[in-house]
Amino acid sequence: MKKMSLWSRTAGGFGQAWAIASKDLRTYYFNPPMLMFGLIMPVLLFFSFSMRRADLTREMGIMHLLSMTLFFTSSTAGPVILILERRTRTLDRLMTAPLSMSCLLFGKTLVGVVFAVGVALVPLIIGLAFFHIQIHNPALLGAAIVLAAMSFSALGIWFGSFPAKSVGTVMMPSTLIRWPLLFISGIFIPLGNLPGWLRGVSYISPLTYAHDAVKHAISGSGTQPVVLDMLMLPAFLLLFLFLAVRLYRRVRKLGY
Amino acid sequence: MKSEELFAIEVRGLTKRYDKLLAVNGIDFDVKDGEIFGFLGPNGAGKTTTTTMLTTFLEPTAGTVRIYGYDLPRESLDARALMGIVPEESNVYLELTALGNLIFAGKIYRMSRKARKRRAAELLEMFGLSDKASVKVQEFSKGMRRRLTVAMALMHEPKLLFLDEPISGLDVQSTRYIKTLVHDLNESGVTIFLTTHQIEVASELCHRVAIINQGSLATIGTPDDLKANIESVQTIAVTFDVPEGISIPSLAELPGVNHEVKAKSGSERRLYTDSPADVIPAVVDFARKHELRIISLSTLGPSLEDVFLKLTGQEVGSITSPPVGEGKRGGKRGKGGMGK
Repeated sequence: MKKMSLWSRTAGGFGQAWAIASKDLRTYYFNPPMLMFGLIMPVLLFFSFSMRRADLTREMGIMHLLSMTLFFTSSTAGPVILILERRTRTLDRLMTAPLSMSCLLFGKTLVGVVFAVGVALVPLIIGLAFFHIQIHNPALLGAAIVLAAMSFSALGIWFGSFPAKSVGTVMMPSTLIRWPLLFISGIFIPLGNLPGWLRGVSYISPLTYAHDAVKHAISGSGTQPVVLDMLMLPAFLLLFLFLAVRLYRRVRKLGY
Repeated sequence: MKSEELFAIEVRGLTKRYDKLLAVNGIDFDVKDGEIFGFLGPNGAGKTTTTTMLTTFLEPTAGTVRIYGYDLPRESLDARALMGIVPEESNVYLELTALGNLIFAGKIYRMSRKARKRRAAELLEMFGLSDKASVKVQEFSKGMRRRLTVAMALMHEPKLLFLDEPISGLDVQSTRYIKTLVHDLNESGVTIFLTTHQIEVASELCHRVAIINQGSLATIGTPDDLKANIESVQTIAVTFDVPEGISIPSLAELPGVNHEVKAKSGSERRLYTDSPADVIPAVVDFARKHELRIISLSTLGPSLEDVFLKLTGQEVGSITSPPVGEGKRGGKRGKGGMGK
């Protein structure tokens, strides 16, 4: 029997991941939890915390909205899609197809990335068209948006990999984890104003690096070196995917 | 020189343990290339656990599985490329069209664009879904979804097809269709691993069957061999001409009768016995005594269902039978209480 070569596995793996992502986009794009948590939530949060803030410039407002939209939109897709597919047993189909678990989960991560990047264009276009904001480094902004969406989406995939069969079972704890990250990542309270210990905690949040990278790209300055931001985001992507794959190894041993 | 026999599945010492529960207890069996292999068992016997391990979804606690020579789980990707899997529940994407589902299955199995289009058109035609190719699956009936699930499993032309309860809950037309399909696929060289609780299906379609009970294999062999091994279980089917309003007394007390099963309607009685020669005269005497006219009287060999019931510890004849008018056996005693 002829075995697949490493090259064939890798090249084919990307094709399979993209097939999963494009199918999911067509299938789940207008799913109510996706719209609620991914689109409406960041806008409501933005208005809740930004109204009547005299120190908030137009650029800062767009930066905040962009970071929040990326964060909520990309990290919502994973739990919604994985749990729905587990319930309908369509995930079993993928788990018994000739593709690795990391390839499968990377495909699911791409869904969140495409969804989030598409949605993030809305505040960006509004900022550019109506508030005439200036972008200091557009290429950096593009790279920051994609890398941030990837790490947040992988975070959502990790949440969705816990063996639950109801979206609510995972959305509740995932929201409880995501909200504190919002407050310690320099969006509503600048990192410099955080107490020392809380600032230490903020460094374990991918949102800290994503927001800082967006700040570098739009305003030309940030809290920490942009290189650190751009290295930490893919590191978080790999970490969350690794943790998700480990959870599925457990599923393969115990079932769900 | 004798050529080496090719096995689709080789299982040795396959074990699955969940904490203190031993779901599958060191089972061994082989499935030959090109055969239809039935896998039967009552609820909780370890049937589904075994199948999910063979299809690579679940990892065994101990033991080895080889699919066409590929070791699981180490070479599971290569093994999966050779398998088609039809689960009990039709797991199609409701939001996609029939064509969309097939094309997606082709992409996941790394088929080229041209091959995907050709094969999808072929399968839509083969499964009578061509006119529904662009309809979203959420509008499909259960039978149509089932057909599409099978079509998706066949998209990449697998060598080995796992079918889990393929006709469960289907109407007569779809059932007949799937049975014919299983036969035809096998004729074209596809090895089939069929999990079912419908013993008449296994008896009708399978070259060999294995019966699993409480995590261990109770027996394995051809349906005829298994029936021959429990020849001690014989049945006498007797039908009386009964005037309306008259009820027939029980025949269970006749000498040599182990158990009696009454047909739900009609006047047929089935008498389970180890000694038909003693029971037949007793039945004739019984008819004379009660002034009943015998319409038919026949002895029947054990069915696969009898084998199943005997090996899984359930009482033979403990299930209610539908009316059977003919003397021919073919597992027509009803479904019994077995499930997945």
